[in-house]
Amino acid sequence: MENQREKIEKLLLKVKSPSRYIGGELNSVVKDKNKVDVRFAFCFPDSYDIGMSHIGMKILYSLKNARENWWCERVFAPWTDFEELMRENNIPLYGLESLDPIKDFDFIGFTVQYELCYTNILNMLDLAGLNVLAAERDDSDPIVIAGGPCVCNPEPLCDFIDLFVIGEGEEVNLELMDMYEQMKKSGSYDKKTFLRRAAGIKGIYVPSLYNVSYLDDGRIDKVEPACEGVPEKVTKRIIPDLNKVFYPEKFVVPFSEIVHDRAVVEVLRGCIRGCRFCQAGFIYRPFREKSAGTVVKEAKSLCESTGYEELSLASLSTSDHSDIEELLTEMTDYTEGEKINLALPSMRIDRFNKTLMEQLSKVRRSGLTFAPEAGTQRLRDVINKNITEDEIFSACKTAFEGGYAGVKLYFMMGLPTETDEDILGISDLAVRIADLYYQMPNRPRGQKLSISISCATFVPKPFTPFQFEPQISIDEINRRQELLLDSVKSKRYINVSYHNYRISILEAALAKGDRRLGAVIKRAWERGCKFDGWDEMYRYDEWVKAFEDVGADIDFYAHRPMAYDETAPWDHLDYMIDKNFFVRENKRAKNGMTTKSCREQCSGCGVNRAAGRECFG
Amino acid sequence: MDKKNVRIFFEKKGRAIYISHLDLMRTMQRALKRSGLPVWFTEGFNPRLYLNFPLALSLGTTGEREPMDIAVVEEIGLDEIVDRLNAVCPEGIRIVGAAYPVHPNKDIGSAEYESRLSGDTEELKKALQDYLEQDSIKVMKHSKKKGMIEVDIKPHINMLDVSDWEKGIIIRYRLPAGIELNLNSAVLTDSFAEYCSEHNISEECICTKRTNIFCTDGTAFE
Repeated sequence: MENQREKIEKLLLKVKSPSRYIGGELNSVVKDKNKVDVRFAFCFPDSYDIGMSHIGMKILYSLKNARENWWCERVFAPWTDFEELMRENNIPLYGLESLDPIKDFDFIGFTVQYELCYTNILNMLDLAGLNVLAAERDDSDPIVIAGGPCVCNPEPLCDFIDLFVIGEGEEVNLELMDMYEQMKKSGSYDKKTFLRRAAGIKGIYVPSLYNVSYLDDGRIDKVEPACEGVPEKVTKRIIPDLNKVFYPEKFVVPFSEIVHDRAVVEVLRGCIRGCRFCQAGFIYRPFREKSAGTVVKEAKSLCESTGYEELSLASLSTSDHSDIEELLTEMTDYTEGEKINLALPSMRIDRFNKTLMEQLSKVRRSGLTFAPEAGTQRLRDVINKNITEDEIFSACKTAFEGGYAGVKLYFMMGLPTETDEDILGISDLAVRIADLYYQMPNRPRGQKLSISISCATFVPKPFTPFQFEPQISIDEINRRQELLLDSVKSKRYINVSYHNYRISILEAALAKGDRRLGAVIKRAWERGCKFDGWDEMYRYDEWVKAFEDVGADIDFYAHRPMAYDETAPWDHLDYMIDKNFFVRENKRAKNGMTTKSCREQCSGCGVNRAAGRECFG
Repeated sequence: MDKKNVRIFFEKKGRAIYISHLDLMRTMQRALKRSGLPVWFTEGFNPRLYLNFPLALSLGTTGEREPMDIAVVEEIGLDEIVDRLNAVCPEGIRIVGAAYPVHPNKDIGSAEYESRLSGDTEELKKALQDYLEQDSIKVMKHSKKKGMIEVDIKPHINMLDVSDWEKGIIIRYRLPAGIELNLNSAVLTDSFAEYCSEHNISEECICTKRTNIFCTDGTAFE
């Protein structure tokens, strides 16, 4: 009989980029399956080139494999060409290290980074040969778990997932797997007992142990534990000290090019800024940073073990590191000597200065991207971006003086309180940046000016001050996009691109959705939806039909304002931020009042009390 | 010391055959970086680790002795280069030798392949003979300048020998390679597969490996 590897290899030359389906990459971990007690399939519900770029997966992969008797493997969503062949040839979804079917593993864990991958989760479970519904899977099936930022509102996924990991995973994953291993070894394992006991671990949310009741108008009445010993609120986990937390010395180095094909070191977690639209800015609090020494040490070890020619510092806002200059000096000393390109994403406009730019210029030059997010000062104040127009101009001037002939600017459209004036402010800002460029006697010569405006549609997200806000209607998004396009007179050097708003609407509905959306997701998947985050794959019409089939109303989720005292689908999860703080911030936004960064003045979000630590010092 | 060119010969097999040519360049660059060998970087604004492949190998084909040129900037023994690279190569790639280049890339004239075909041994042997005895063997080939063009490959096929294996036959052959005319082994195996299917003969090409590369004068490319 043909083994799984032979079956796979026979198909590989028929598909695009086959090296992503066969494993064998440098630093991938292969163990003897007869010597391991717990097998974990770490699934990223998107294609290999996206999933392999994800830093959280790299951390947890190495962490779990550090245990000699556990084996963690990587699994990605096969692209449609290979999926079709897998289904035709009865090849169930497998782990890349062993090529064994993951339905025989102990755990299947999904990291959920964005809402538009939900149908891929179902598709992967199905490809594995498992029932997509948790209630239909039995003791012999793996435990299906999920974590990542999207599970701060896991409710739309409750039908499919046995348990959710809330918050940072480095400690709680180990506790969960330890408990499982012990129960298996003592012979006391059955899934029901395991889930009951897991619910007692801090940071574990078992959705089947909670009942949700609804009001007549469709809103949630309350969410309550269904049995004793289950916490009313599940509090997220955090790692207290980033200098002590596990960080991998090796990354798996892919053969085919992936989105972020480089070594990455996380420099800090959390964010001091409090931009009111930004979920990451709140759910990753409190602010914690790694020392410059730790970052440099980790960077060196990664570069040496991977041979990567590029290194990136990852965080929500790298320039907010308290020791950023020292960090960059030490880092560039190393990278220059080794001819490694240092990439610094996530730098704030107001921290962009000549010193920083010179550091950047020493290495290979890529484009400069700034994120003013809104076209007028009024609206930037509403969203608490805390960037002034002067700062934007001064950053652009520095960039032009430094030889850059182009900038990329990120904006959002449909922000709360937005008017036509704010939209026109976007193109106006671009025009004035162009004027600035042409007025500069020392502007870069021989290069064509290029200002790219990239405009996303605002999506209200849980655990933000804007969680109460509706998304604007399709017609209105459409009208504002036209308005922006029409207002850009010079198409010669200003280029406008924007997101597909039909995708943003689904994103809003899923982000703020409740358990009843499980049926919609299942229906959409049955209708063939997958890879919804890919423009060319997204099928809005099928999603609309899925909502209709199930009798759910997309407007109810995406376009309805929520009252401050309404029970949100995620209110039984505690991300250590007071709901009252979000209400306060929402009111301040409506009044155009800004809030200072955490380092300047504590805004009382409550995370220091909840975490039992001071944020600074 | 001035830079000195070194030709490395490597084997590419197993899972590594699915690494495309472009990906192989990245893979080798990173392996060289990890090895810490004193390799030469190109000059200019974006210094790049210098690497040159005299003859690309198709995706899916095993390579037994594939050349790759680098340059070193310090005195270093060839054996040490081999050992240090082997210590950091991914599964399926193994360095089998290193030498100072004898021939320039433009000398390459042909390459030798070995393909395993599955089917009935006698039936395949007969079919192969008939296939090769046709007046011409027309295939469509992609040309950079002209797009898809029709080429008669018959004069270019140099069939060296045919032997048996448990599931069919093994054919060993040479095809033109290099700048003048470059024929991929799939040109032959695909057109033979097509011939077999037209004549209702069950045939499948299981795998192909490139065993050696030769200069236009027939000597091995070193």
